[in-house]
Amino acid sequence: MKQTVKLRVNGLEQEVAVQTHHTLLEVLRQEFKLFGAREGCGIGMCGACTVLVDGKPISSCLMLAALAEGRELLTIEGMDEGGKLHPIQQAFIDHNAFQCSYCTPGFILTVKTLLEENPNPSAQEVRSYLSGNLCRCGSYVKILDAVLDAAGRLREGRASAGSGRS
Amino acid sequence: MAIVGQSIGMIDSHDRVTGQIDYILNFELPAMLVGRILRSPLPHARILRIDASRAERLPGVAAILTRADFETGLKGVYGRVFSDQTVVAKEKIRFVGDPVAAVAAVDEDIADEALSFIEVEYKELPTVFDPEEALKPDAPLVHEPRPQLQPAFAGLISKPAGAGNVCSLFKLRRGDVDLGFAEADFVFEDTFRSPAVQHVSLEPHVTVAQYVGGILTIWTSTQMPHAIRAQMSDLFNLPQTRVRIITQTLGGGFGSKGSLRLEPITSFLAWKAKRPVKITLRREEEFVTVTKHPTTVHLKTGVTRDGLLVARQVTTLFNTGAYTDIGPVVARNGGSVMSGPYKTPHVKIDSYTIWTNAVPAGALRGFGVPQATWAYESQMDMIAERVGMDPMEFRRKNILHDGDRFATGEVLKDLHYDELLNHAAAFVNWNPDDARWLKVSSTRSTNKAGRRLKRGKAVTAVIKATITPSTSTAAVMLNEDGSLNVLTSSVELGQGAKTALAQIAADAAHVPLAVVRITEPDTDVTPYDQQTSSSRTTFSMGSAIVLAAGDLKHQLAELSGELLEVSVDDLVMHDGKVEVRGAPERSLSYGEIVRKGRRGNLIGNGTFTTRGGLDQETGQGIGSVHWHQAAAACEVEVDTETGKVRILKLNSSVFAGRMVNPRLCELQTEGSTYFGLGQALFEEMVYDDNGHVINSNLGDYMIPSFKDGPDELNVSILEHEENGEIHGIGETSLPPVVPVIANAVYNAVGVRITDLPLTPEKILRGLEDRHKTDKMPE
Repeated sequence: MKQTVKLRVNGLEQEVAVQTHHTLLEVLRQEFKLFGAREGCGIGMCGACTVLVDGKPISSCLMLAALAEGRELLTIEGMDEGGKLHPIQQAFIDHNAFQCSYCTPGFILTVKTLLEENPNPSAQEVRSYLSGNLCRCGSYVKILDAVLDAAGRLREGRASAGSGRS
Repeated sequence: MAIVGQSIGMIDSHDRVTGQIDYILNFELPAMLVGRILRSPLPHARILRIDASRAERLPGVAAILTRADFETGLKGVYGRVFSDQTVVAKEKIRFVGDPVAAVAAVDEDIADEALSFIEVEYKELPTVFDPEEALKPDAPLVHEPRPQLQPAFAGLISKPAGAGNVCSLFKLRRGDVDLGFAEADFVFEDTFRSPAVQHVSLEPHVTVAQYVGGILTIWTSTQMPHAIRAQMSDLFNLPQTRVRIITQTLGGGFGSKGSLRLEPITSFLAWKAKRPVKITLRREEEFVTVTKHPTTVHLKTGVTRDGLLVARQVTTLFNTGAYTDIGPVVARNGGSVMSGPYKTPHVKIDSYTIWTNAVPAGALRGFGVPQATWAYESQMDMIAERVGMDPMEFRRKNILHDGDRFATGEVLKDLHYDELLNHAAAFVNWNPDDARWLKVSSTRSTNKAGRRLKRGKAVTAVIKATITPSTSTAAVMLNEDGSLNVLTSSVELGQGAKTALAQIAADAAHVPLAVVRITEPDTDVTPYDQQTSSSRTTFSMGSAIVLAAGDLKHQLAELSGELLEVSVDDLVMHDGKVEVRGAPERSLSYGEIVRKGRRGNLIGNGTFTTRGGLDQETGQGIGSVHWHQAAAACEVEVDTETGKVRILKLNSSVFAGRMVNPRLCELQTEGSTYFGLGQALFEEMVYDDNGHVINSNLGDYMIPSFKDGPDELNVSILEHEENGEIHGIGETSLPPVVPVIANAVYNAVGVRITDLPLTPEKILRGLEDRHKTDKMPE
């Protein structure tokens, strides 16, 4: 059974007809052709399909698309700031914090929320927060470096923005 | 300045952090159908009847593939070593998950519904899952009659006597093992087991096929496009010109994407439906597609009172499951190194692959060597204890050096074990009394936590081949703007092949990295490469690219010599231009040379081959063009109340020869170490009594997460630039990680586990047994 829903993805609202039993992941990939969210396990264990729903990381393989109506959805394709890479993305590049990079969008989006909630996390806090994102290639050492570096860059960015206002 | 040797970021980094990598998973064609596979629910059964008529009538179903499609004409049987696998089952099914039929429909929901409408009637047959059971005379036969051996393997696979379920036997004979045991003061026999584990590449296997105008085009997640083309041309009875295999960057492979997988079934569906078809495996299907070989290794080792190894006899059973895949080559690769990186004058190895009703096993990172290393490095520590030696000293005493002869008869060179072992040992600050049996006094901890948490250390080493003989071919195409396409069939699967090969090409052709593009593998365009596996790409394809660039530079010199009217000997090349020596103002850019010479483009070709191989009856020959070497060291903390192992420190020390990109070497080594950690501590496919894999999902099958990692992971890559030879690095650090954790656990709590993984349950059971036997309160 199909149902028309209005989804707001990366700031753009679009009406789509979705099967009521289809997940947000299926709709993002099949209807929106946004391929940054990827199925890894299909049961919410690996984090490769992570998108931000109202700013919180969600396994899009577990959320029905119809239930995403009226929520603010952010995928990796909406992460850049006016064509410029987000500092977290840049830190991942600078540390080469990926190998096959299938899991990378999920990590980056989860890190975005982590650093909003906790701008100065310890290594242990990073490991714990990201334990639901699996990297089979085992790039964890570099990911940790990238996250701590990104946290520093974002804090600096905020500090200089703050001093600019004063 | 040379770009080789620099830790540049991956050349496709931007796409990797923005979600733009073109995985085959994203590939779509107009009018494409979705394919799904009906799989056997039984482990061994004869198929009495298949009725797909109800499924065929379902609206939206375009084609259903069953054995009826292979009754006349195309035979639908394939396999790299033995022709033993069918596109869809014919007379019988041999494991739970064996493909029985397939459906192509307009969407996945309809395809799934159609599967449920296909009626299959089975007659169950007796089953065999355990390779030792499979060897008994009255064991049910998985393959009867014996399948046909592919001609390419005719000389490589001997037909074992009393074959039955024996798929292959590799033998190695060096010296006289009976004499060796007679010389030994002690002979120790131990058996080590390791289970099936799954690759769990996060990108599943995915294939899109189209058959139009007599041409079969397949977009597929494969590590070996040319081998897939050869086999598909055979299956479709088409010349290789009419089969085209295209692949893209993969979301991980680890060996799983190295044989025919979805290509046959998807292609026949597309052929029958007359429309393109895409099949994407679900995670649970990955677990019934290919695994690491569950393996039993029996080691009998003779040693003198002074701790010199004199003889080793090995019987090893690689359970290759219901279909051969590449099993016999895995058993040869793992079998031939069962004496480890140690001088052993008398060696006798019998390495079998056995057919059972388990999921087919194939290549997995390390290709048989992790199973071998798990056994011999565990036994090294066990022997050290029995002869009362420091396990490090025991290793140092026997370790291979330049000029020593290996079990294969090769005289080895460019060995660096002393340095690797020292490096690893220093990281954990190894002392002889870190061996549990050499502890001078056990200092009792005064606090409760100290009594509960026990620490232990260990150091191990590995020797590993890279596939030999092997062939890589490359072409470099210089365009009239001076940019350079590098045409190779090497597959980027996260190891950074594109980046490392671009670095090599830039230096070899004397062009800036920015003008180099590595073309995606496409068998219509990119020349032959054997496979992307066995840690061979940087070395083998890198060498082919250097040769291709040499050919190109030769052509450039000839052309520019004519254009500049000077002798070729008076020309120098750098930064994308050719200059007259001593007169830099007389120069032409590469682009100008192509344009002025009216060549359109210039193409340089290079082929790199290595020679060697081992005799199947004696194991003698050239096992590897050069040998991969590594050591590992770790310190663990074992919770004696829960049995949980925490890895405090872990070092992987690997010999790289010469590094192309140090950071990518580090990354691969870290990743390989995590792979070993998972196999040591928790990875195991669990079967029920009826051959069902019961943990075929990432909720029940664990792979290492951020929280499983060592508190401190340290990687040391050893370079010896004067040698100049690049050693691949994708797998080398995995094998020693598994026994190093087991040996450290032993040194921590005195529990010796010989069957992987080292679960808390096994550790607790071992602790209980120890308490029962020595009654000595700790």
